[in-house]
Amino acid sequence: MSTSMVKAEGVHKSFGPVEVLKGIDLEVKPGEVFCLIGPSGSGKSTFLRCINHLEKVNAGRLYVDGHLVGYRQKGDKLYELKDSEVARKRRDIGMVFQRFNLFPHMTALENIMEAPVQVKGVSRAQARERAAQLMERVGLADKAGSYPSQLSGGQQQRVAIARALAMDPKLMLFDEPTSALDPELVGDVLDVMRDLAESGMTMIVVTHEMGFAREVGDSLVFMDEGVVVESGHPRDVLTNPQHERTQSFLSKVL
Amino acid sequence: MTVDIDKTAGPEDVPPAGPEAIKAIPVRHYGRYVSAVIAIAIFVSIIYAFAQGKINWGAVPDYFFDDRIIKGVGQTMLLTVLSMVIGIAGGILLAVMRLSRNPVTSSIAWFYIWFFRGTPVLVQLVVWFNLGLVFEYINLGPIYKDYWSSFMTPLLTALLGLGLNEAAYMAEICRAGLLSVDEGQTEASHALGMSHGKTLRRIVIPQAMRVIVPPTGNEVINMLKTTSLVSVVQFAELFRYAQDIGQSSGAPVEMYFLAAAWYLVLTSVLSVGQYYIERYYARGSSRSLPATPLQKIKANMLSLASWRR
Repeated sequence: MSTSMVKAEGVHKSFGPVEVLKGIDLEVKPGEVFCLIGPSGSGKSTFLRCINHLEKVNAGRLYVDGHLVGYRQKGDKLYELKDSEVARKRRDIGMVFQRFNLFPHMTALENIMEAPVQVKGVSRAQARERAAQLMERVGLADKAGSYPSQLSGGQQQRVAIARALAMDPKLMLFDEPTSALDPELVGDVLDVMRDLAESGMTMIVVTHEMGFAREVGDSLVFMDEGVVVESGHPRDVLTNPQHERTQSFLSKVL
Repeated sequence: MTVDIDKTAGPEDVPPAGPEAIKAIPVRHYGRYVSAVIAIAIFVSIIYAFAQGKINWGAVPDYFFDDRIIKGVGQTMLLTVLSMVIGIAGGILLAVMRLSRNPVTSSIAWFYIWFFRGTPVLVQLVVWFNLGLVFEYINLGPIYKDYWSSFMTPLLTALLGLGLNEAAYMAEICRAGLLSVDEGQTEASHALGMSHGKTLRRIVIPQAMRVIVPPTGNEVINMLKTTSLVSVVQFAELFRYAQDIGQSSGAPVEMYFLAAAWYLVLTSVLSVGQYYIERYYARGSSRSLPATPLQKIKANMLSLASWRR
Protein backbone atom coordinates (compact mmCIF):
# COMPACT_ATOMS: atom_id res chain seq x y z
CA MET A 1 0.00 0.00 0.00
CA SER A 2 2.93 2.31 0.54
CA THR A 3 3.41 2.44 -3.20
CA SER A 4 0.12 4.23 -3.81
CA MET A 5 -0.86 7.76 -2.87
CA VAL A 6 -4.58 7.10 -3.24
CA LYS A 7 -6.21 3.71 -3.39
CA ALA A 8 -9.94 3.16 -3.79
CA GLU A 9 -11.55 -0.23 -3.27
CA GLY A 10 -15.20 -0.53 -4.18
CA VAL A 11 -16.07 3.02 -3.10
CA HIS A 12 -19.81 3.69 -2.92
CA LYS A 13 -21.50 6.99 -2.20
CA SER A 14 -25.20 7.82 -2.10
CA PHE A 15 -27.05 11.07 -1.57
CA GLY A 16 -30.31 9.84 -0.12
CA PRO A 17 -31.77 7.37 -2.61
CA VAL A 18 -29.44 8.48 -5.42
CA GLU A 19 -26.36 6.32 -5.77
CA VAL A 20 -23.64 8.55 -7.18
CA LEU A 21 -20.64 6.23 -6.89
CA LYS A 22 -21.29 2.57 -7.55
CA GLY A 23 -18.04 0.90 -6.65
CA ILE A 24 -14.92 2.77 -7.72
CA ASP A 25 -11.60 0.92 -7.81
CA LEU A 26 -8.51 2.84 -8.74
CA GLU A 27 -4.99 3.60 -7.67
CA VAL A 28 -2.94 6.79 -7.90
CA LYS A 29 0.83 6.46 -7.56
CA PRO A 30 3.06 9.11 -5.97
CA GLY A 31 4.17 11.76 -8.43
CA GLU A 32 1.46 10.84 -10.87
CA VAL A 33 -0.88 13.23 -12.68
CA PHE A 34 -4.16 11.40 -12.62
CA CYS A 35 -6.98 12.76 -14.77
CA LEU A 36 -10.67 12.03 -14.22
CA ILE A 37 -12.98 12.74 -17.13
CA GLY A 38 -16.61 12.01 -17.83
CA PRO A 39 -19.99 13.62 -18.40
CA SER A 40 -21.46 15.84 -15.67
CA GLY A 41 -23.22 13.83 -13.01
CA SER A 42 -20.87 10.90 -13.49
CA GLY A 43 -19.54 11.23 -9.94
CA LYS A 44 -16.02 12.55 -10.68
CA SER A 45 -16.30 15.54 -8.36
CA THR A 46 -17.98 13.49 -5.66
CA PHE A 47 -15.16 10.97 -5.76
CA LEU A 48 -12.63 13.78 -5.50
CA ARG A 49 -14.45 15.22 -2.48
CA CYS A 50 -14.43 11.79 -0.83
CA ILE A 51 -10.63 11.78 -0.94
CA ASN A 52 -10.36 14.63 1.57
CA HIS A 53 -13.51 13.55 3.38
CA LEU A 54 -15.66 16.51 2.36
CA GLU A 55 -18.09 13.68 1.55
CA LYS A 56 -18.43 10.50 3.55
CA VAL A 57 -18.01 7.20 1.75
CA ASN A 58 -20.94 4.80 2.32
CA ALA A 59 -19.19 1.55 1.44
CA GLY A 60 -15.80 0.35 0.32
CA ARG A 61 -12.40 1.56 1.42
CA LEU A 62 -10.50 4.67 0.44
CA TYR A 63 -6.85 5.07 1.44
CA VAL A 64 -4.65 8.15 1.18
CA ASP A 65 -0.96 7.55 1.67
CA GLY A 66 -1.74 4.18 3.23
CA HIS A 67 -4.23 5.58 5.76
CA LEU A 68 -7.95 4.95 5.68
CA VAL A 69 -9.89 8.17 4.96
CA GLY A 70 -12.22 9.30 7.73
CA TYR A 71 -12.03 6.16 9.86
CA ARG A 72 -9.69 4.15 12.03
CA GLN A 73 -9.73 0.39 11.72
CA LYS A 74 -9.21 -1.77 14.80
CA GLY A 75 -9.64 -5.44 14.13
CA ASP A 76 -12.69 -5.58 11.93
CA LYS A 77 -14.36 -2.55 13.52
CA LEU A 78 -14.32 0.95 12.06
CA TYR A 79 -14.20 4.00 14.29
CA GLU A 80 -15.18 7.39 12.91
CA LEU A 81 -12.38 9.95 13.24
CA LYS A 82 -12.95 13.07 15.29
CA ASP A 83 -13.27 16.38 13.44
CA SER A 84 -9.84 17.44 14.64
CA GLU A 85 -8.26 14.24 13.29
CA VAL A 86 -9.97 14.70 9.93
CA ALA A 87 -8.71 18.30 9.85
CA ARG A 88 -5.15 17.13 10.56
CA LYS A 89 -5.26 14.74 7.59
CA ARG A 90 -6.62 17.42 5.30
CA ARG A 91 -3.50 19.52 5.86
CA ASP A 92 -1.60 17.20 3.53
CA ILE A 93 -4.19 17.35 0.76
CA GLY A 94 -4.55 20.55 -1.21
CA MET A 95 -7.79 21.23 -3.02
CA VAL A 96 -8.62 23.64 -5.83
CA PHE A 97 -12.27 24.31 -6.52
CA GLN A 98 -14.18 25.08 -9.68
CA ARG A 99 -15.43 28.33 -8.20
CA PHE A 100 -12.07 29.27 -6.59
CA ASN A 101 -13.59 29.85 -3.13
CA LEU A 102 -11.01 32.44 -2.19
CA PHE A 103 -11.77 34.26 1.06
CA PRO A 104 -13.20 37.56 -0.23
CA HIS A 105 -12.45 39.56 2.93
CA MET A 106 -8.71 38.93 2.68
CA THR A 107 -6.12 40.08 0.16
CA ALA A 108 -4.50 37.52 -2.11
CA LEU A 109 -1.47 37.36 0.16
CA GLU A 110 -3.60 36.98 3.30
CA ASN A 111 -5.53 34.16 1.61
CA ILE A 112 -2.29 32.26 1.14
CA MET A 113 -0.99 33.04 4.64
CA GLU A 114 -4.18 32.09 6.45
CA ALA A 115 -3.84 28.32 6.74
CA PRO A 116 -0.11 28.15 7.51
CA VAL A 117 -0.55 30.73 10.28
CA GLN A 118 -3.82 29.39 11.70
CA VAL A 119 -3.29 25.67 11.24
CA LYS A 120 0.46 25.10 11.34
CA GLY A 121 1.31 27.98 13.64
CA VAL A 122 3.89 29.43 11.26
CA SER A 123 4.91 32.98 12.20
CA ARG A 124 3.26 35.74 10.20
CA ALA A 125 6.58 37.02 8.87
CA GLN A 126 7.59 33.58 7.66
CA ALA A 127 4.16 32.93 6.15
CA ARG A 128 4.25 36.28 4.39
CA GLU A 129 7.62 35.51 2.85
CA ARG A 130 6.47 32.08 1.68
CA ALA A 131 3.21 33.52 0.33
CA ALA A 132 5.15 36.11 -1.67
CA GLN A 133 7.28 33.32 -3.17
CA LEU A 134 4.16 31.36 -4.10
CA MET A 135 2.56 34.43 -5.66
CA GLU A 136 5.64 34.76 -7.79
CA ARG A 137 5.52 31.09 -8.71
CA VAL A 138 1.98 31.47 -10.05
CA GLY A 139 2.99 34.65 -11.86
CA LEU A 140 1.11 37.16 -9.71
CA ALA A 141 3.89 38.81 -7.71
CA ASP A 142 2.33 42.25 -8.28
CA LYS A 143 -1.16 41.28 -7.08
CA ALA A 144 -0.31 40.49 -3.45
CA GLY A 145 -2.39 43.33 -2.03
CA SER A 146 -5.42 42.83 -4.25
CA TYR A 147 -8.70 41.49 -2.96
CA PRO A 148 -10.22 38.56 -4.89
CA SER A 149 -12.95 40.80 -6.30
CA GLN A 150 -10.23 42.86 -7.97
CA LEU A 151 -8.74 39.84 -9.76
CA SER A 152 -9.85 38.07 -12.92
CA GLY A 153 -11.08 34.49 -12.68
CA GLY A 154 -7.80 33.11 -13.93
CA GLN A 155 -5.84 35.16 -11.41
CA GLN A 156 -8.16 34.07 -8.61
CA GLN A 157 -7.69 30.43 -9.52
CA ARG A 158 -3.91 30.81 -9.52
CA VAL A 159 -4.09 32.41 -6.06
CA ALA A 160 -6.25 29.45 -5.00
CA ILE A 161 -3.56 27.06 -6.22
CA ALA A 162 -0.91 29.04 -4.33
CA ARG A 163 -3.12 28.93 -1.23
CA ALA A 164 -3.31 25.16 -1.41
CA LEU A 165 0.45 24.85 -2.03
CA ALA A 166 1.22 26.97 1.03
CA MET A 167 0.36 23.95 3.21
CA ASP A 168 3.02 21.85 1.42
CA PRO A 169 0.56 19.13 0.47
CA LYS A 170 1.56 15.64 -0.65
CA LEU A 171 -1.43 15.48 -2.93
CA MET A 172 -3.35 18.11 -4.88
CA LEU A 173 -6.97 17.70 -5.91
CA PHE A 174 -8.29 19.83 -8.76
CA ASP A 175 -12.07 19.97 -9.18
CA GLU A 176 -12.66 21.29 -12.70
CA PRO A 177 -10.22 24.14 -12.10
CA THR A 178 -10.77 25.81 -15.46
CA SER A 179 -14.50 25.24 -16.00
CA ALA A 180 -15.57 28.60 -14.59
CA LEU A 181 -13.00 30.58 -16.57
CA ASP A 182 -13.24 32.62 -19.73
CA PRO A 183 -11.51 30.66 -22.51
CA GLU A 184 -8.59 33.07 -22.85
CA LEU A 185 -7.78 32.72 -19.12
CA VAL A 186 -7.65 28.91 -19.09
CA GLY A 187 -4.10 28.80 -20.46
CA ASP A 188 -2.52 30.66 -17.53
CA VAL A 189 -4.04 28.27 -15.00
CA LEU A 190 -3.05 25.20 -17.01
CA ASP A 191 0.51 26.55 -17.25
CA VAL A 192 0.71 26.73 -13.46
CA MET A 193 -0.65 23.20 -13.19
CA ARG A 194 1.79 21.92 -15.81
CA ASP A 195 4.63 23.52 -13.90
CA LEU A 196 3.38 21.87 -10.73
CA ALA A 197 3.22 18.47 -12.43
CA GLU A 198 6.80 18.85 -13.60
CA SER A 199 7.90 19.54 -10.05
CA GLY A 200 6.71 16.02 -9.17
CA MET A 201 3.47 16.80 -7.32
CA THR A 202 0.89 14.05 -7.15
CA MET A 203 -2.23 15.50 -8.74
CA ILE A 204 -5.76 14.25 -9.28
CA VAL A 205 -7.47 16.43 -11.83
CA VAL A 206 -11.14 16.39 -12.72
CA THR A 207 -11.17 18.18 -16.03
CA HIS A 208 -12.74 18.77 -19.40
CA GLU A 209 -9.40 19.94 -20.83
CA MET A 210 -8.54 16.94 -22.97
CA GLY A 211 -5.44 18.69 -24.30
CA PHE A 212 -4.07 19.05 -20.79
CA ALA A 213 -4.93 15.44 -19.95
CA ARG A 214 -3.14 14.18 -23.03
CA GLU A 215 0.01 16.27 -22.58
CA VAL A 216 0.45 16.27 -18.81
CA GLY A 217 -1.52 13.28 -17.56
CA ASP A 218 0.12 9.98 -16.61
CA SER A 219 -3.13 8.11 -16.14
CA LEU A 220 -6.67 8.78 -17.17
CA VAL A 221 -9.98 7.38 -16.04
CA PHE A 222 -13.27 7.80 -17.83
CA MET A 223 -16.21 7.69 -15.43
CA ASP A 224 -19.89 7.46 -16.27
CA GLU A 225 -22.90 6.95 -14.01
CA GLY A 226 -20.80 6.26 -10.95
CA VAL A 227 -18.50 3.61 -12.37
CA VAL A 228 -15.07 3.58 -13.97
CA VAL A 229 -15.76 2.73 -17.61
CA GLU A 230 -12.25 2.83 -18.99
CA SER A 231 -8.78 3.65 -17.75
CA GLY A 232 -5.26 3.72 -19.04
CA HIS A 233 -2.66 6.11 -20.37
CA PRO A 234 -4.33 9.32 -21.54
CA ARG A 235 -2.97 9.03 -25.06
CA ASP A 236 -4.38 5.54 -25.46
CA VAL A 237 -7.78 6.26 -23.97
CA LEU A 238 -8.25 9.58 -25.76
CA THR A 239 -7.08 8.49 -29.19
CA ASN A 240 -8.21 4.90 -29.17
CA PRO A 241 -11.12 4.47 -26.77
CA GLN A 242 -12.24 0.86 -26.43
CA HIS A 243 -15.60 1.30 -24.82
CA GLU A 244 -18.65 2.57 -26.66
CA ARG A 245 -19.59 5.09 -23.95
CA THR A 246 -16.08 6.53 -23.97
CA GLN A 247 -16.22 6.83 -27.73
CA SER A 248 -19.52 8.68 -27.73
CA PHE A 249 -18.38 11.03 -24.92
CA LEU A 250 -15.10 11.85 -26.62
CA SER A 251 -16.77 12.40 -29.96
CA LYS A 252 -18.83 15.12 -28.31
CA VAL A 253 -16.06 16.94 -26.47
CA LEU A 254 -13.05 16.63 -28.75
CA MET B 1 -23.96 67.52 -18.28
CA THR B 2 -21.09 65.69 -19.86
CA VAL B 3 -20.87 62.07 -20.74
CA ASP B 4 -17.60 60.21 -21.08
CA ILE B 5 -17.65 58.08 -24.14
CA ASP B 6 -15.24 55.21 -24.50
CA LYS B 7 -13.20 55.88 -27.59
CA THR B 8 -13.19 52.27 -28.68
CA ALA B 9 -16.99 52.30 -28.73
CA GLY B 10 -17.15 54.82 -31.54
CA PRO B 11 -17.27 53.83 -35.20
CA GLU B 12 -13.91 53.28 -36.86
CA ASP B 13 -14.24 56.00 -39.48
CA VAL B 14 -14.56 59.00 -37.15
CA PRO B 15 -11.72 61.51 -37.16
CA PRO B 16 -8.85 60.65 -34.80
CA ALA B 17 -9.91 63.38 -32.37
CA GLY B 18 -12.89 61.19 -31.41
CA PRO B 19 -16.55 62.15 -31.25
CA GLU B 20 -17.47 65.47 -29.70
CA ALA B 21 -18.66 65.28 -26.09
CA ILE B 22 -22.46 65.49 -25.84
CA LYS B 23 -23.79 68.71 -24.35
CA ALA B 24 -27.52 68.10 -24.06
CA ILE B 25 -30.10 70.05 -22.06
CA PRO B 26 -31.20 67.76 -19.22
CA VAL B 27 -34.85 66.82 -18.70
CA ARG B 28 -36.57 69.36 -16.44
CA HIS B 29 -38.41 67.84 -13.50
CA TYR B 30 -41.01 70.52 -12.71
CA GLY B 31 -42.90 68.12 -10.44
CA ARG B 32 -39.98 68.24 -8.03
CA TYR B 33 -40.23 72.01 -7.54
CA VAL B 34 -43.97 71.78 -6.96
CA SER B 35 -43.72 68.91 -4.48
CA ALA B 36 -40.87 70.62 -2.62
CA VAL B 37 -42.98 73.76 -2.19
CA ILE B 38 -45.96 71.72 -0.92
CA ALA B 39 -43.79 69.75 1.51
CA ILE B 40 -42.19 72.92 2.90
CA ALA B 41 -45.61 74.54 3.30
CA ILE B 42 -46.94 71.56 5.28
CA PHE B 43 -43.81 71.45 7.42
CA VAL B 44 -43.99 75.17 8.22
CA SER B 45 -47.66 74.94 9.17
CA ILE B 46 -46.96 72.04 11.55
CA ILE B 47 -44.16 74.01 13.20
CA TYR B 48 -46.44 77.03 13.44
CA ALA B 49 -49.16 74.95 15.08
CA PHE B 50 -46.74 73.68 17.72
CA ALA B 51 -45.32 77.14 18.31
CA GLN B 52 -48.86 78.47 18.90
CA GLY B 53 -49.71 75.68 21.35
CA LYS B 54 -49.79 76.11 25.10
CA ILE B 55 -46.27 74.83 25.50
CA ASN B 56 -43.58 76.75 27.27
CA TRP B 57 -40.78 76.16 24.77
CA GLY B 58 -38.37 78.19 26.82
CA ALA B 59 -38.21 75.35 29.35
CA VAL B 60 -36.61 72.97 26.86
CA PRO B 61 -33.31 74.85 26.37
CA ASP B 62 -33.32 75.77 30.08
CA TYR B 63 -33.10 72.13 31.07
CA PHE B 64 -31.41 70.71 27.97
CA PHE B 65 -27.99 70.50 29.66
CA ASP B 66 -29.32 70.12 33.19
CA ASP B 67 -27.03 67.90 35.30
CA ARG B 68 -29.77 65.32 35.81
CA ILE B 69 -30.54 65.19 32.09
CA ILE B 70 -26.86 64.75 31.24
CA LYS B 71 -26.61 62.00 33.84
CA GLY B 72 -29.69 60.38 32.37
CA VAL B 73 -28.20 60.52 28.88
CA GLY B 74 -25.09 58.83 30.27
CA GLN B 75 -27.12 56.10 31.96
CA THR B 76 -29.18 55.54 28.81
CA MET B 77 -26.05 55.15 26.72
CA LEU B 78 -24.41 52.88 29.28
CA LEU B 79 -27.47 50.67 29.41
CA THR B 80 -27.74 50.60 25.62
CA VAL B 81 -24.11 49.63 25.15
CA LEU B 82 -24.02 46.98 27.89
CA SER B 83 -27.36 45.44 26.86
CA MET B 84 -26.23 45.27 23.26
CA VAL B 85 -22.93 43.66 24.25
CA ILE B 86 -24.88 40.96 26.10
CA GLY B 87 -27.32 40.75 23.20
CA ILE B 88 -24.67 40.41 20.47
CA ALA B 89 -22.47 37.95 22.37
CA GLY B 90 -25.51 35.90 23.32
CA GLY B 91 -26.92 36.19 19.82
CA ILE B 92 -23.78 34.85 18.14
CA LEU B 93 -23.59 32.01 20.66
CA LEU B 94 -27.25 31.14 20.17
CA ALA B 95 -26.97 31.32 16.38
CA VAL B 96 -23.99 28.97 16.37
CA MET B 97 -25.82 26.64 18.76
CA ARG B 98 -28.94 26.74 16.62
CA LEU B 99 -26.96 25.81 13.49
CA SER B 100 -24.96 23.14 15.29
CA ARG B 101 -25.27 19.51 14.30
CA ASN B 102 -25.60 18.66 17.97
CA PRO B 103 -29.36 18.20 18.58
CA VAL B 104 -29.04 19.12 22.27
CA THR B 105 -27.49 22.54 21.72
CA SER B 106 -29.74 23.40 18.79
CA SER B 107 -32.84 22.49 20.82
CA ILE B 108 -31.69 24.62 23.76
CA ALA B 109 -31.13 27.57 21.43
CA TRP B 110 -34.51 27.03 19.81
CA PHE B 111 -36.23 26.97 23.19
CA TYR B 112 -34.41 30.10 24.39
CA ILE B 113 -35.38 32.05 21.29
CA TRP B 114 -38.95 30.78 21.49
CA PHE B 115 -39.30 31.93 25.09
CA PHE B 116 -37.53 35.29 25.03
CA ARG B 117 -38.94 36.38 21.69
CA GLY B 118 -42.40 35.24 22.62
CA THR B 119 -42.89 37.41 25.70
CA PRO B 120 -42.95 41.24 25.87
CA VAL B 121 -39.76 42.82 27.14
CA LEU B 122 -41.71 44.91 29.63
CA VAL B 123 -43.12 41.73 31.16
CA GLN B 124 -39.65 40.17 31.25
CA LEU B 125 -38.29 43.22 33.07
CA VAL B 126 -41.00 43.04 35.70
CA VAL B 127 -40.44 39.31 36.13
CA TRP B 128 -36.70 39.81 36.67
CA PHE B 129 -37.54 42.53 39.16
CA ASN B 130 -39.81 40.25 41.15
CA LEU B 131 -37.71 37.10 40.97
CA GLY B 132 -36.92 37.62 44.65
CA LEU B 133 -40.25 35.94 45.34
CA VAL B 134 -38.87 32.72 43.86
CA PHE B 135 -35.28 32.91 45.01
CA GLU B 136 -34.79 34.35 48.45
CA TYR B 137 -31.02 34.05 48.39
CA ILE B 138 -28.44 33.82 45.72
CA ASN B 139 -25.97 31.15 46.80
CA LEU B 140 -22.95 30.27 44.71
CA GLY B 141 -21.47 28.07 47.39
CA PRO B 142 -18.30 29.51 48.91
CA ILE B 143 -17.91 32.23 46.27
CA TYR B 144 -20.92 34.44 46.83
CA LYS B 145 -24.00 34.50 49.00
CA ASP B 146 -26.48 37.31 49.44
CA TYR B 147 -30.13 38.20 49.53
CA TRP B 148 -31.59 38.18 46.05
CA SER B 149 -32.97 41.67 46.51
CA SER B 150 -29.58 43.17 47.29
CA PHE B 151 -27.88 41.17 44.54
CA MET B 152 -30.37 42.25 41.89
CA THR B 153 -29.61 45.95 41.61
CA PRO B 154 -31.79 48.00 39.25
CA LEU B 155 -28.88 48.11 36.79
CA LEU B 156 -28.45 44.33 36.79
CA THR B 157 -32.19 43.79 36.46
CA ALA B 158 -32.36 46.20 33.55
CA LEU B 159 -29.31 44.63 31.89
CA LEU B 160 -30.60 41.08 32.20
CA GLY B 161 -34.08 42.04 31.09
CA LEU B 162 -32.94 43.96 28.03
CA GLY B 163 -29.81 41.95 27.19
CA LEU B 164 -31.28 38.46 27.36
CA ASN B 165 -34.31 39.55 25.37
CA GLU B 166 -32.06 41.16 22.79
CA ALA B 167 -29.97 37.99 22.48
CA ALA B 168 -33.01 36.16 21.14
CA TYR B 169 -33.46 38.73 18.37
CA MET B 170 -29.75 38.96 17.65
CA ALA B 171 -29.62 35.17 17.37
CA GLU B 172 -31.93 35.24 14.38
CA ILE B 173 -30.00 38.11 12.79
CA CYS B 174 -26.70 36.29 13.28
CA ARG B 175 -28.16 33.05 11.98
CA ALA B 176 -29.26 34.81 8.79
CA GLY B 177 -25.74 36.23 8.51
CA LEU B 178 -24.03 32.88 8.99
CA LEU B 179 -26.34 31.23 6.46
CA SER B 180 -25.62 33.96 3.92
CA VAL B 181 -21.97 32.92 3.60
CA ASP B 182 -21.37 30.64 0.65
CA GLU B 183 -20.87 26.99 1.60
CA GLY B 184 -17.79 26.93 -0.64
CA GLN B 185 -16.06 29.15 1.92
CA THR B 186 -16.49 26.57 4.66
CA GLU B 187 -15.37 23.80 2.32
CA ALA B 188 -12.28 25.70 1.23
CA SER B 189 -11.40 26.39 4.83
CA HIS B 190 -11.95 22.76 5.88
CA ALA B 191 -9.94 21.55 2.88
CA LEU B 192 -7.02 23.64 4.16
CA GLY B 193 -7.21 21.74 7.45
CA MET B 194 -8.87 24.48 9.50
CA SER B 195 -11.07 23.34 12.37
CA HIS B 196 -14.76 24.16 12.73
CA GLY B 197 -14.02 26.86 15.29
CA LYS B 198 -11.28 28.53 13.27
CA THR B 199 -13.41 28.36 10.12
CA LEU B 200 -16.21 30.09 11.97
CA ARG B 201 -14.02 32.76 13.55
CA ARG B 202 -11.66 33.52 10.70
CA ILE B 203 -13.73 32.85 7.58
CA VAL B 204 -17.48 32.72 8.17
CA ILE B 205 -18.17 35.36 10.83
CA PRO B 206 -16.15 38.17 9.16
CA GLN B 207 -18.18 37.61 5.98
CA ALA B 208 -21.44 37.23 7.86
CA MET B 209 -20.86 40.65 9.45
CA ARG B 210 -21.84 42.38 6.22
CA VAL B 211 -25.30 40.92 6.57
CA ILE B 212 -25.39 41.21 10.37
CA VAL B 213 -24.36 44.86 10.80
CA PRO B 214 -27.29 46.73 9.16
CA PRO B 215 -30.08 45.01 11.13
CA THR B 216 -27.89 45.20 14.24
CA GLY B 217 -27.71 48.97 13.82
CA ASN B 218 -31.49 48.88 13.79
CA GLU B 219 -31.43 46.85 17.00
CA VAL B 220 -29.07 49.32 18.72
CA ILE B 221 -31.36 52.20 17.89
CA ASN B 222 -34.35 50.17 19.06
CA MET B 223 -32.49 49.31 22.25
CA LEU B 224 -31.71 52.95 22.91
CA LYS B 225 -35.41 53.71 22.82
CA THR B 226 -36.44 50.57 24.71
CA THR B 227 -34.25 51.62 27.65
CA SER B 228 -36.99 54.13 28.44
CA LEU B 229 -38.98 51.15 29.79
CA VAL B 230 -36.59 50.34 32.60
CA SER B 231 -38.04 52.91 34.95
CA VAL B 232 -40.40 50.07 35.95
CA VAL B 233 -37.43 48.34 37.61
CA GLN B 234 -36.41 51.56 39.37
CA PHE B 235 -33.48 52.27 37.08
CA ALA B 236 -33.12 55.98 36.37
CA GLU B 237 -32.18 57.01 32.85
CA LEU B 238 -32.95 59.87 30.46
CA PHE B 239 -36.72 59.41 30.28
CA ARG B 240 -37.08 58.91 34.02
CA TYR B 241 -35.02 62.02 34.84
CA ALA B 242 -36.97 64.06 32.29
CA GLN B 243 -40.21 62.91 33.92
CA ASP B 244 -38.90 63.77 37.37
CA ILE B 245 -37.85 67.26 36.30
CA GLY B 246 -41.17 67.70 34.56
CA GLN B 247 -43.07 66.94 37.74
CA SER B 248 -40.97 69.16 39.98
CA SER B 249 -40.66 72.10 37.60
CA GLY B 250 -44.25 72.16 36.45
CA ALA B 251 -43.38 71.64 32.79
CA PRO B 252 -44.06 67.91 32.24
CA VAL B 253 -44.91 67.99 28.54
CA GLU B 254 -41.97 70.23 27.77
CA MET B 255 -39.66 67.66 29.32
CA TYR B 256 -41.09 64.94 27.03
CA PHE B 257 -40.11 67.09 24.07
CA LEU B 258 -36.69 67.53 25.61
CA ALA B 259 -36.30 63.75 25.99
CA ALA B 260 -37.46 63.21 22.41
CA ALA B 261 -34.84 65.70 21.18
CA TRP B 262 -32.11 63.91 23.11
CA TYR B 263 -33.16 60.51 21.77
CA LEU B 264 -33.03 61.96 18.26
CA VAL B 265 -29.54 63.32 18.84
CA LEU B 266 -28.33 59.95 20.14
CA THR B 267 -29.87 57.89 17.34
CA SER B 268 -28.37 60.28 14.77
CA VAL B 269 -24.91 59.77 16.24
CA LEU B 270 -25.43 55.99 16.22
CA SER B 271 -26.50 56.04 12.56
CA VAL B 272 -23.25 57.69 11.59
CA GLY B 273 -21.30 55.12 13.58
CA GLN B 274 -23.19 52.31 11.86
CA TYR B 275 -22.26 53.72 8.48
CA TYR B 276 -18.56 53.51 9.22
CA ILE B 277 -18.82 49.97 10.61
CA GLU B 278 -20.61 48.86 7.44
CA ARG B 279 -17.92 50.49 5.38
CA TYR B 280 -15.27 48.55 7.29
CA TYR B 281 -16.90 45.18 6.66
CA ALA B 282 -17.49 46.00 3.00
CA ARG B 283 -13.77 45.72 2.27
CA GLY B 284 -13.06 43.14 -0.37
CA SER B 285 -16.70 42.78 -1.31
CA SER B 286 -16.80 45.64 -3.77
CA ARG B 287 -14.09 47.07 -5.93
CA SER B 288 -14.06 50.46 -4.25
CA LEU B 289 -15.28 51.38 -0.79
CA PRO B 290 -18.48 53.42 -0.60
CA ALA B 291 -18.06 57.14 0.00
CA THR B 292 -17.95 58.55 3.53
CA PRO B 293 -20.87 60.82 4.52
CA LEU B 294 -18.71 63.90 3.97
CA GLN B 295 -17.82 62.80 0.47
CA LYS B 296 -21.48 62.02 -0.13
CA ILE B 297 -22.66 65.42 1.07
CA LYS B 298 -20.13 67.03 -1.21
CA ALA B 299 -21.31 64.97 -4.18
CA ASN B 300 -24.96 65.70 -3.38
CA MET B 301 -24.30 69.43 -3.17
CA LEU B 302 -22.64 69.32 -6.56
CA SER B 303 -25.47 67.37 -8.11
CA LEU B 304 -28.07 69.62 -6.50
CA ALA B 305 -26.27 72.64 -7.90
CA SER B 306 -26.48 71.30 -11.42
CA TRP B 307 -29.82 69.44 -11.04
CA ARG B 308 -28.07 66.53 -12.62
CA ARG B 309 -30.61 63.83 -11.92
